Amino acid sequence: MSGDATHWDENAYREAILKEREIETRTVFRTAWAPTRNPNPDTLLVASSDGSIASYSIPSCISNLPFGFTNIKTQKLFAEPTCFFQGHDGPAYDIKFYGDDEDSLLLSCGDDGRIQGWRWKELTGSKDSSSLLGGDIKPLLDLVNPQHKGPWGALSPIPENNAIAVDTKGGSVFAASGDSCAYCWDVETGKVKTVFKGHLDYLHCLVARNSASQIITGSEDGTARIWDCKSGKCIKLIDPAKDLKSRGLVKWISSVALDASESWLACSYGRNISLWNLPASECITKFSTGSSVQDMLFDNNQILAIGADPLLNRFDMNGVTLSQIHCAPPSSFTISLHPSGVMAVGGYGCLVDVISQFGSHMCTFRCRSL
Amino acid sequence: MEVFKRAILQPGPPESFALQTVQEVIKPQRQTKLAQDENQFLENILRMLLQELVSSAVQSGEQIMQYGQSMDDSETTQGHIPRLLDIVLYLCEKEHVECGMIFQLLEDLTEMSTMKNCKDIFGYIESKQDILGKQELFARGKLVMLRTCNQLLRRLSKASDVVFCGRILTFLAHFFPLSERSALNIKGVFNTSNETKYEKEPPEGISIDFNFYKTFWSLQEYFSNPTSLSLAPTKWQKFTSSLMVVMDTFEAQPLSDEEGDANNLEDESANFSIKYLTSSKLMGLELKDPSFRRHILVQCLILFDYLKAPGKGDKDLPSESMKEEIKSCEERVRKLLELTPPRGRAFLHKIEHILEREKNWFWWKRDGCPPYEKQPMEKKAVQDGAKKRRPRYRLGNKELSQLWRWADQNPNALTDPQRVQTPSIMEYWKPLAEDMDPSAGIEAEYHRKSNRVYCWKGLRFSARQDLEGFSRFTDHGIEGVVPLELLPPDIRSKYQAKPNDRAKRAKKEETKGTLHHVEENQIAAPATEADGEGLRADGSTAPMELDAIAVPAAQGGTPTPDDLQKQSSDTDVGQEAGQLEADAEGEVEAGMIDGETDADVDLEAVG
Repeated sequence: MSGDATHWDENAYREAILKEREIETRTVFRTAWAPTRNPNPDTLLVASSDGSIASYSIPSCISNLPFGFTNIKTQKLFAEPTCFFQGHDGPAYDIKFYGDDEDSLLLSCGDDGRIQGWRWKELTGSKDSSSLLGGDIKPLLDLVNPQHKGPWGALSPIPENNAIAVDTKGGSVFAASGDSCAYCWDVETGKVKTVFKGHLDYLHCLVARNSASQIITGSEDGTARIWDCKSGKCIKLIDPAKDLKSRGLVKWISSVALDASESWLACSYGRNISLWNLPASECITKFSTGSSVQDMLFDNNQILAIGADPLLNRFDMNGVTLSQIHCAPPSSFTISLHPSGVMAVGGYGCLVDVISQFGSHMCTFRCRSL
Repeated sequence: MEVFKRAILQPGPPESFALQTVQEVIKPQRQTKLAQDENQFLENILRMLLQELVSSAVQSGEQIMQYGQSMDDSETTQGHIPRLLDIVLYLCEKEHVECGMIFQLLEDLTEMSTMKNCKDIFGYIESKQDILGKQELFARGKLVMLRTCNQLLRRLSKASDVVFCGRILTFLAHFFPLSERSALNIKGVFNTSNETKYEKEPPEGISIDFNFYKTFWSLQEYFSNPTSLSLAPTKWQKFTSSLMVVMDTFEAQPLSDEEGDANNLEDESANFSIKYLTSSKLMGLELKDPSFRRHILVQCLILFDYLKAPGKGDKDLPSESMKEEIKSCEERVRKLLELTPPRGRAFLHKIEHILEREKNWFWWKRDGCPPYEKQPMEKKAVQDGAKKRRPRYRLGNKELSQLWRWADQNPNALTDPQRVQTPSIMEYWKPLAEDMDPSAGIEAEYHRKSNRVYCWKGLRFSARQDLEGFSRFTDHGIEGVVPLELLPPDIRSKYQAKPNDRAKRAKKEETKGTLHHVEENQIAAPATEADGEGLRADGSTAPMELDAIAVPAAQGGTPTPDDLQKQSSDTDVGQEAGQLEADAEGEVEAGMIDGETDADVDLEAVG
């Protein structure tokens, strides 16, 4: 009976609704191409807001899914992952490979303040037996952010990790944390080597400039800082939005990117991107985009930027738009570039759009949820 | 045969001996025209002779067309073979022998020669094009000629002998009438064998978007066989979805002008190819190549044009929904073409023009290829008629008499209320008054006071309608003439004359002015009427001042030099201006057509 409410379980109903909403609003926070000897884009790793980490085989996605830029609303487009496991409690924010061969570690970080490392070979090897039940795979590395001690021994919550970067030569992993500090971990010992303290608000992004043993962090306080890894001191403070009147609106640094030569730095704040020459430590250009920028990459002398609208923008170093490609996620949070020129854009709705070097859509898929 | 050999060596024009030679050999029944079997006999002899000449030329290792060429003295004589051809051509032209003979010889010759020599032979053919193309010869030889040319084309390489191929085709185009249908694809059958091959399996090692690659090149299949699209709706759907993918990709990557320029530097004709290069390795480069993009887009336009073309029978016509799709696709293609550098817009215009002309051919073909040549009879008739009606114009030339007649045909043009009339000075000076307002901030360059034609016209109106204001010209220049009521109060004071001065002047004007008016009106009236006749003709387009003259009332207002002297006795400038005004008017009346230029000159004097 529709009117009978005697066995009404409000909690179950609430949970069902939340669950549904959660599925709808799942977001891909990071994609990464797995290192292979094959020059073709082969495996794409996806970290999403439910804490899951999954790998997808691009060739099989291409063959199983409809070709071309399809309407995401009308089609389900679910892809089957080759490997799927729960990495973090709460959203997984970043994944990176430590090393670029078969023995590399897959590092992930997330809202739970952990950095976990898995052996990539084991993950790929396990796909035959228990591809979808990766729960029993134990991480090789498990680092937890330190808690701050308050008065009377009160401990602060464990700060989340928003981004990680690696320095394979120095054997270290850098993490941009929610306690407005960046940490440098030693991979061998699992101990914190350096703490980079100085930002006034939590960190959004981080890149490692290994050639000069520096890291560059971008924070909610509207500044980017260049740190020396040896001393742990801030070398330079970059405040790209200094001269903007509407500072309040464009306060945070949403992403930072380095080019291959590690001499150019792009900072995005709000709808703007500013480009810095690091050897000269000068701002060379500033330009605006159509929407707020959420991730950037250098592709040789061009900048790929994605943000709060379904467009993948390609700029040259002067800020001139070279191309605009429509992509599936209505708001994108991550872009990753394969050496062959294939780009993967991930974002809201747990959508991943794989775009070829021609600018055509190789495949578009929706990630699986738990 | 020996006789002919001798004849070839004979100097002098063929007219002098050719016929005799033939008569000598054949001993024909009739004097000038050979009978059937005689012709056959002669032809055999000539063909044998030609063969002999060619073989001896080959043995001597000379170019066959130059064989036997002697360079005695200063002049160069022809080779043996051209000489023989000349003689035969002469005989054919005069219809002494069967007309097809020369064509037969030419065909033999090309078949016997190497490609290199054929170039020379063809040069000879081209040089005799006029004679060969004559009606009598053409009728007999067109099929042989066509066969010869096609045979040549077949022997030539389409890739490396493009120039020679072009020459042959040009010759054929000249040789055959425009409406010749033998080379025409009457039914409009598509060359479906022109297949663009592409890789079906993804290549090893290189990463490309193979799906896109396949989609892109699969379009060619539809381009080569458009009929399949209109017949099968599923195919059309597949085509449009593929085309969308391609266009999305094109649109996402607009080409910059630099890329267009870079391509321009290369010699376009050098790397022109009639087939696409479909290697998957090239896909990335090709997408960045503006001329490649153009090729594809133009193919689309051609296809759409075909699909839209009517007259294929009702069942082949595209459905309404399909028409809509075609239209939207076409719009996109056009936009893309326009965006493709270099000079996309100009390119698109050219393509559209060509496609438009293509339609004419389509209609022509549908109407059964009517010949283009106009019948000469019709032409003659028209010419005769034109000659008889020798144009005679009463007023010297066509335009003038037209003007005269126009006046007769429109008697009430003068009284027409719609007619352009002299504006009131209030109306006329309004723009200048607005410009004078300092708050308007008009720059000197655009200020109407520096527009001399405007000022000159205005001075004349003021002189007729507002002498008071006109007199202020002496003190304040052109801005003084503007009626004070039009000016904002703060500027007005600047131009206001002393009140008692004004009153005095007004009085004077009244007394003296009226007398003059009466007198002048009487004198001027007949003159203006006469003028009016001529002027009405151009009533609508004539410049304003011409009309002004035709209005008798205004005429009366014109101040004579006398008047001016009394009005502004204290200044000489005003008088001078007034005189010039009067002069200007005189000139305008005399040479009404030149009114505009005269005005300019005079105004220079005033200012």
